[in-house]
Amino acid sequence: MAFREVNARRHVGLQQLSALALAGRTLLGPMKSYKFVVDESTNQSVLTCSAVRLIESLDLSSAAGQLLNETIQAQNKEFKTGMSTLLFLVGAWSNAVLECLQQNVPVSVIVSVMSEGLNSCCEKVQCLQLSIPDVNKGLCSSSVRTNIFENKTSQIRSNSFLNPQVCFQKGISTSEEAAVPRNTHSYPEDSCNFSNSCLFSTLTGFGSIASLVKPVDGKSKSVISGSGVMTSSCNKKKLSHSRYFNTLAKSNFSSQLGNSEGCLSGQSAYPCECNDFGHLAMALSHGNQTSTKLLQNIVAYQQQRAECSGSSQFNITEIVTCCLLGLPESYSCVCSGFITLVSPEQATVIKYLQDKPLWILLMDGDLTEHYRHLGFNRSRNVRTILEHPSLQEGRSGDLWLSSVLDILKYFEVNLILVKGNVCEKLMERCITNNILVIGSVSHNVLRAFGEGCGAQPVSYLTQLDARYLGSGGQVELWRACDGRAMELGELVPVRIKVQGIPLLTAMLTTTVASKMQLIEDQFWTFVYRLHHALNEGKVFLGGGAVELLCLSHIQMLAEQSLKPASTNAEKEFHSPSWLAAASTEYKSVVLQALASGWNRYLSVVLCNTAKVASGFEAYTLIKCHLKKAADCGSPSAYILKEFRRGGMVQGSSDPFTDPGEGLNVYDNVTAKMEAWRRALDLVLLVLQTDAEIITGPRRNQLLNSYVSSEFMFL
Amino acid sequence: MSRVEAKKPSLYISEPLTKDIVHQSLSVLRGVLKSCYGPAGRLKQLHNGMGGYVCTTSRSSAVLRCLSVSHPVLKVLTASVQNHISRVSDCGLFTAILCCSLIENFKNINFLSCTVIKISKHLLSLCTDYLKSEACGCRVSVDFSNLETLFCLVRSILMSKPACMLSKTEIDHLTTLIVKAFLLTVPCHVETNAVLGKCIIVPVKGRRVVDSTVFPGLLLETPENQLAKPLSVKRTPSNIIKIALFCVSMSGDLFNPEEGSITVRHGISLEMSELDQLLNVGRQLVNDEIGLVVCQKVIHPSLKQYLKENHVVAVDRVGLSMMEPLSQMTGSKPIASIHSFSPSCYGSLKDVCTESFASKHFVHLIPNDTLVCSLMLCNRSETTWDELKCAYETAERVLQLTIKEPLALLGGGCTETHLASYIRHKSCNLSTSSFKAIDCSQTQYQLVADAFCRSLESVACSLNHDDGDIFTDVVYGHCWFVPSGFSSVSNWSDLVSKCGCGINDNTQNLNWRVLQSQFSSPVLQSCPKEPSVKATDFLTLDCFAAKCSGLQVAVETANLILDLSCIIEDQN
Repeated sequence: MAFREVNARRHVGLQQLSALALAGRTLLGPMKSYKFVVDESTNQSVLTCSAVRLIESLDLSSAAGQLLNETIQAQNKEFKTGMSTLLFLVGAWSNAVLECLQQNVPVSVIVSVMSEGLNSCCEKVQCLQLSIPDVNKGLCSSSVRTNIFENKTSQIRSNSFLNPQVCFQKGISTSEEAAVPRNTHSYPEDSCNFSNSCLFSTLTGFGSIASLVKPVDGKSKSVISGSGVMTSSCNKKKLSHSRYFNTLAKSNFSSQLGNSEGCLSGQSAYPCECNDFGHLAMALSHGNQTSTKLLQNIVAYQQQRAECSGSSQFNITEIVTCCLLGLPESYSCVCSGFITLVSPEQATVIKYLQDKPLWILLMDGDLTEHYRHLGFNRSRNVRTILEHPSLQEGRSGDLWLSSVLDILKYFEVNLILVKGNVCEKLMERCITNNILVIGSVSHNVLRAFGEGCGAQPVSYLTQLDARYLGSGGQVELWRACDGRAMELGELVPVRIKVQGIPLLTAMLTTTVASKMQLIEDQFWTFVYRLHHALNEGKVFLGGGAVELLCLSHIQMLAEQSLKPASTNAEKEFHSPSWLAAASTEYKSVVLQALASGWNRYLSVVLCNTAKVASGFEAYTLIKCHLKKAADCGSPSAYILKEFRRGGMVQGSSDPFTDPGEGLNVYDNVTAKMEAWRRALDLVLLVLQTDAEIITGPRRNQLLNSYVSSEFMFL
Repeated sequence: MSRVEAKKPSLYISEPLTKDIVHQSLSVLRGVLKSCYGPAGRLKQLHNGMGGYVCTTSRSSAVLRCLSVSHPVLKVLTASVQNHISRVSDCGLFTAILCCSLIENFKNINFLSCTVIKISKHLLSLCTDYLKSEACGCRVSVDFSNLETLFCLVRSILMSKPACMLSKTEIDHLTTLIVKAFLLTVPCHVETNAVLGKCIIVPVKGRRVVDSTVFPGLLLETPENQLAKPLSVKRTPSNIIKIALFCVSMSGDLFNPEEGSITVRHGISLEMSELDQLLNVGRQLVNDEIGLVVCQKVIHPSLKQYLKENHVVAVDRVGLSMMEPLSQMTGSKPIASIHSFSPSCYGSLKDVCTESFASKHFVHLIPNDTLVCSLMLCNRSETTWDELKCAYETAERVLQLTIKEPLALLGGGCTETHLASYIRHKSCNLSTSSFKAIDCSQTQYQLVADAFCRSLESVACSLNHDDGDIFTDVVYGHCWFVPSGFSSVSNWSDLVSKCGCGINDNTQNLNWRVLQSQFSSPVLQSCPKEPSVKATDFLTLDCFAAKCSGLQVAVETANLILDLSCIIEDQN
């Protein structure tokens, strides 16, 4: 056993946390920068833009690192969103707590004041919660209005992409004036632009301007050149719909949707009606258009189904993804049924099975000879003797194969969905017998097929009975929206449809292999955001409103704590009495530390979105808002008003903001507050730790290592 | 041929306590344990240094388990504290800190150890007699008709575990739940020997603490796809659900003898015959109108399918720990053979339904007469959940001990300082005949008594982890905490607001003095009084039985260690 004390003033654990969290700084907000994580030993690298994947690929051998990983994984498991917020706040609050320690604030005071402060904030921000029906009402009215602007905005957006170095910022009023008259005329190029609109959507999450294919429009170029030239940030324009950066691009986006839907979704266009959650999905996706579009199609489909069957309106377990490499991102779409990738050999079976009704078999184990259900103990001491050996009888493996095939042929099974692995030999034999076998099928898919075609999963083929089989399915090669069949690589996408199956597959396509994981992660994040919002029945006003209110609330608390009158008023039975007295002395320092977390959060988000030029400018902007909020008397009313109008930076430089329009940016309530709480809990847990006790065989290693002087051995 | 090695001679160490290394190790150990003590205690990260699971805790049981001490003297100490924890599961740190302090303080007196031991035994008996007497000023009786005292007990335990990371509202929520769960396990109609029921913890990690709930009956976790929707359970004509409980594996594997082998002819499948046997069992169960089959181990998928088709709910892999409460709750006897079993083994249930939380699915068994309940315990992360689970187990044990002996001691250091001032008072007023009886002089007695009191007070002082002062009052002998930097203030009643346990406040002048200061001469102590007003809400309370046992273990272990005259170590 070895034992190490952690220096109280320069708390090692907190420093480790702060250092680790620094890596996630650019992942904050709707405009994330990518990171390459390179493994020096293998030279392999990973492209990442989420906190989970980043932390997964970091070296976390320290105890604090382990705890950070555990915290982030727990948030990911529970919510699938809020991890970068968590990571950032861990860093910000670690730093703030370190500063408190420097000022000799006792640990117990930091712990109690900070956790009370956070609780108080969580109660305070409840006034920024909006119920889903209210949100929908607001979103629909604004979406109708925005249609008027759609031509204008898409035009201007496209212009800014023509000359990436030409972006407009300060002198924008001129370009606005120039653009509005254009809108009144009907230019033939407009329609031309829209036909290409699917290419637009690829831009959203990714700053890859190089991939944009866009006809050059001389006229619009001339319009732009008349405006002020700013070279600061061309990636500012990739953000169309953000919590922090509210331009009118949202409306542009809805116009694209209307135009491109026919080709983008494999299904015929679902009507995007006002009373659905499609707009909510958009408001929660913070600017990622590809995912939003997919999500809106899913929502529309599921709502239609829900109206018929009365099931729940948004069912997350009926969504699966299929990742297809080799097609541009604009080919992403949603299809009903199950799409998966199969080998080219199996694709030949599909050609045979096409247009035939299928008999479907579901298996919830492996399809191999030696598979036994979980908990089955094989006996090792059974010997089989063969009394009359004959040459015709082959080995037991062949025997099993032929018996399996006999069963399958007897029941005329054409399609087998297997939860686990499939025996290679059997796969080959099935192909020759025109039976399609698909392995590693998830539990949700099996269940959906069970519901859709009436099949029941079995563990062993010997269990099989005709009533366990499902019928009525159809299989075909999946074709992209332009009718292109996939001959892209080694694997071929196939689509299995059953009448009435609730399953939807989101086809996620990209040409860049390293982005595949990233696109899938993002898609699921948005799915879960909508899921949580609908489950909770409420959302937060987004765009930094919540954080700003927390800031102003904490400032008010800090001011109150300096007034002596309030000290005895509180009934503090939980903390020891002396703590209450000590708190008053340090309370304002600790509360400021808590506030600094959100302050840094807001400023980094503003910087990341390139809406402000520097951190200093961001702090000034935040300060200005805080002052206005305080002067206004009721900060929550001020924030509600301001953020409904346009967010943090409205009015200052943005040309497209329509003051009368709703903001349409929302956040999950519980996920956000839990991320705060988890971040603070982690920081306080590490803060209260004063020693490490290292167990196990490392004692001798530590004795001989260079750090041995730090350790005590009993 | 193996090499024969000569045996090494044993190592003889005389007077182990005079060695420096023992002192150093003892003071490090004391420092570690002291820093863990109380609601503001510092946490320790226990891990293997190689990126393994990190346990953040201030629990004595975990810390002592991981501290692999090498010196025999320390081993004696940790072993007896661990034994104490395994019996009463509370007051481990109190015991360990007191024991270390006693050894150190007694060592400094430099008497013959047998004299010290005699006197300390006498002091211990004074303490225990006082604690057990009606006149004791630091204990309160627990009234089970008023839940407030029980809440105080549980709340004090939860608050003393900072690694659970609970907020005030969460502590209140859990306190209510734990008391509720405990009361569900208390039988309503007590006959001659009452047996408490059981509360099963259902772990739900990653959720908010306030999502925790108590269910009467049992929750059995099952994979979602195994249950028919909606759940239809067959009932008997008398509208109860019959349950069969199997503790034997129904997975269809063969009886596995350790040695020897079975030879079968080609074409005969033992598995198939075993499965046939299982399906026969299934038919019998269906004929006997069983509604629910629960198996400790695995049920063969074919049998499950058969049962499902016959509207029998089957739950498998419930584990050994669930078998006892299941059989207690349903009145069924676990069936240990699939070849023959009688219908007398079956039990009954009032209702069965399904519940789901987070991503988990459960079958909820609702009994007719509940003595078994399930506590779904949630906390945000693995580390904090583990800590919370241990806190719960401590609280459950404490409640069980309290129902046996409905007393509680004032917490927050007040019992320690109160006892110390009682002993100081007693040791001044002891009759000469009692000195003769223990064969010592009055001076000797008072020196040992002073060391004993200082050890007790040092435990109270261990509650304070930021620089600050600890006062005690002359009237009640309670313990008061004051933040640092205020000692020069003239009016001390401005500084202190409430004593450690929360029973006294600063309204009357209690004549405070600094505890354990080197400068102030020990004031002549009168017998400490019992607080007149007994407000029962929001007190810090400790378990009576656990603390008494801790006191006893600490003094006796310290005596044992003082008595060590040599260590003989076998070096082979």
